[in-house]
Amino acid sequence: MAEARAAGAIYDLGYQSYAGARYGRFYAIRTLIHYSFATAFGIGRADKAKSMPTLIVALVYLPALVQVGVASIAGPQALIHYSVFLEYSVALIALFAASQSPELIVADKQQGVLSLYLSRPFKATDYAIAKLVALVLAMLVITLGPQLVLFVGRIFVSASPLAAFKTEWTKLFPILGGTLMASIFIAAIGMLLASFASRRGYATASVIAFFLLAPALVEMFRSVTTGAIKRYAILAHPVYLITGFANWLFDIEALRRSAIGRADLPGQYYLFVMLGVSIACTAALLRRYRRLDA
Amino acid sequence: MPLISARELTKRYPGVNALDGLTLDIESGIVGFVGANGAGKSTFIRILLGLLAPTSGTASVLGFDVRADALEVRKRVGYMPEHDCLPLEISGTDFVTHQGQMSGLPFTAARERGAEMLRHVGLHEERYRLIGSYSTGMKQRIKLAQSLVHDPKLLLLDEPTNGLDPEGREEMLLLIERTGREFGIAVMVTSHLLGEIERVCDSLIAIDAGRLQYAGTVAAFTQQTQRLRLEVDDDAPAFAAQLRARGLAVEAHGGNELRVDLADDSVYDVIRDVAADFAVPLSRMEVTRHRLEELFRTPTAGGARG
Repeated sequence: MAEARAAGAIYDLGYQSYAGARYGRFYAIRTLIHYSFATAFGIGRADKAKSMPTLIVALVYLPALVQVGVASIAGPQALIHYSVFLEYSVALIALFAASQSPELIVADKQQGVLSLYLSRPFKATDYAIAKLVALVLAMLVITLGPQLVLFVGRIFVSASPLAAFKTEWTKLFPILGGTLMASIFIAAIGMLLASFASRRGYATASVIAFFLLAPALVEMFRSVTTGAIKRYAILAHPVYLITGFANWLFDIEALRRSAIGRADLPGQYYLFVMLGVSIACTAALLRRYRRLDA
Repeated sequence: MPLISARELTKRYPGVNALDGLTLDIESGIVGFVGANGAGKSTFIRILLGLLAPTSGTASVLGFDVRADALEVRKRVGYMPEHDCLPLEISGTDFVTHQGQMSGLPFTAARERGAEMLRHVGLHEERYRLIGSYSTGMKQRIKLAQSLVHDPKLLLLDEPTNGLDPEGREEMLLLIERTGREFGIAVMVTSHLLGEIERVCDSLIAIDAGRLQYAGTVAAFTQQTQRLRLEVDDDAPAFAAQLRARGLAVEAHGGNELRVDLADDSVYDVIRDVAADFAVPLSRMEVTRHRLEELFRTPTAGGARG
């Protein structure tokens, strides 16, 4: 025995049972959030899965970087305003939700992985929450991220960065609030719509259809109505909601001739509707998943 | 304490009873859970995992009630579903590691155990390949690996040989046997093919239409399910009638062929006596097996329904 050991023999130790730490439900939720966040950007997956997220990331960061570049020559006044930038990115955020929410939840259903997840020590609603949180976090990368680029850019292109920071830092709250609310709002709608689809393609189509149809229907409705109904109808328009909310956060007066300007609704209304829709969609999503647990 | 225990477990769907007052205790070892397709095997497993609520009755796994302590059960149980359950766009090692983490293992431990289990099922070389590029046999094996990654006390394997070619089936059965014997993990493996799993099992549970048909050792079951195939040269119906008159369960199989349940060795004596008394020429007599489907569907079997 001793000689064999000295000669560096290989031992078959047989099966090693695991005696180490075992974490609980919250660790499982955190693991799934982390994993799904990576999935949303195609990390750890084939190149094909990376193309759409990479394209969208490029489309939101490049303009922000170019803006900062231009401002470094032309001065801080040339920088686009945060809320205008958020409005510009709404279509891209919606596209991100349309292409990635199916990757997060429909793929699991389509490929049967959901049945494995459900056999692990956490609840079906935990699964849904983890997926929604992962999508919101992923969307913050493409909403909050570029705004922070603009923020940092604005400070460093100014003559005195320290002074610029002192006047600019309060903008961080509306930047965070606006992008967080927009991300939650679109992610909740995207996830709920995707949860009805059996295939990824259908889910993407339904989310895109929603964000194309809802504005079109609202515009049609507004064109045939007048007065208060017409004014309040813009609360059913996802893009107006986000823009109206951002205007309110940054304390911007909308153009008199724009739809939001003419509707002239109190800014909180936009917040309430977005919050309400987000909560309702999340509740419906959880309800759909709760049925999967005995 | 039994590993799995069910008392009057019933699951009713509109128009059909998936489980019908199932009462059983499963002890450790490798247990075969057999029944025809639709007999209620998957329903039973889904109830054990807390994924389905029984209509009535109770069940417990490792002493934990499946309804009240579903998460405790899931911590200790490994599950290999019958159907596809693999993400195709990630690598084998990433998948198994992730599933280990989902069961509560820290990342490093999940990674190590994942690698170990992939080695166990023979996928060590292919661990960095995307699962989508795996063959059916490899997919089936990685399903087994993920069910083992968190070192469960009990494995629930639902039709693990499904869709495999004969060689793949053989490999899978060998893996299951090794897992049960060398790892000391209790295994419940379902199959609709009795002949296949009885070789690796210590004991058998047979259900049909959600009812328990048999629970006991493999040997006793084999005996219970053995039949004699007889071929007589003339007047098979009359011969069959004589055998029935002496209490044997006989089934005509067209032409001159009869099948007789082989309850014990006295059956041979009865056949010999009847053949001698009536001078019926017996041209063939051999032991065969019931197919699982017919075992419970013939009027001669225990829990027969119309």
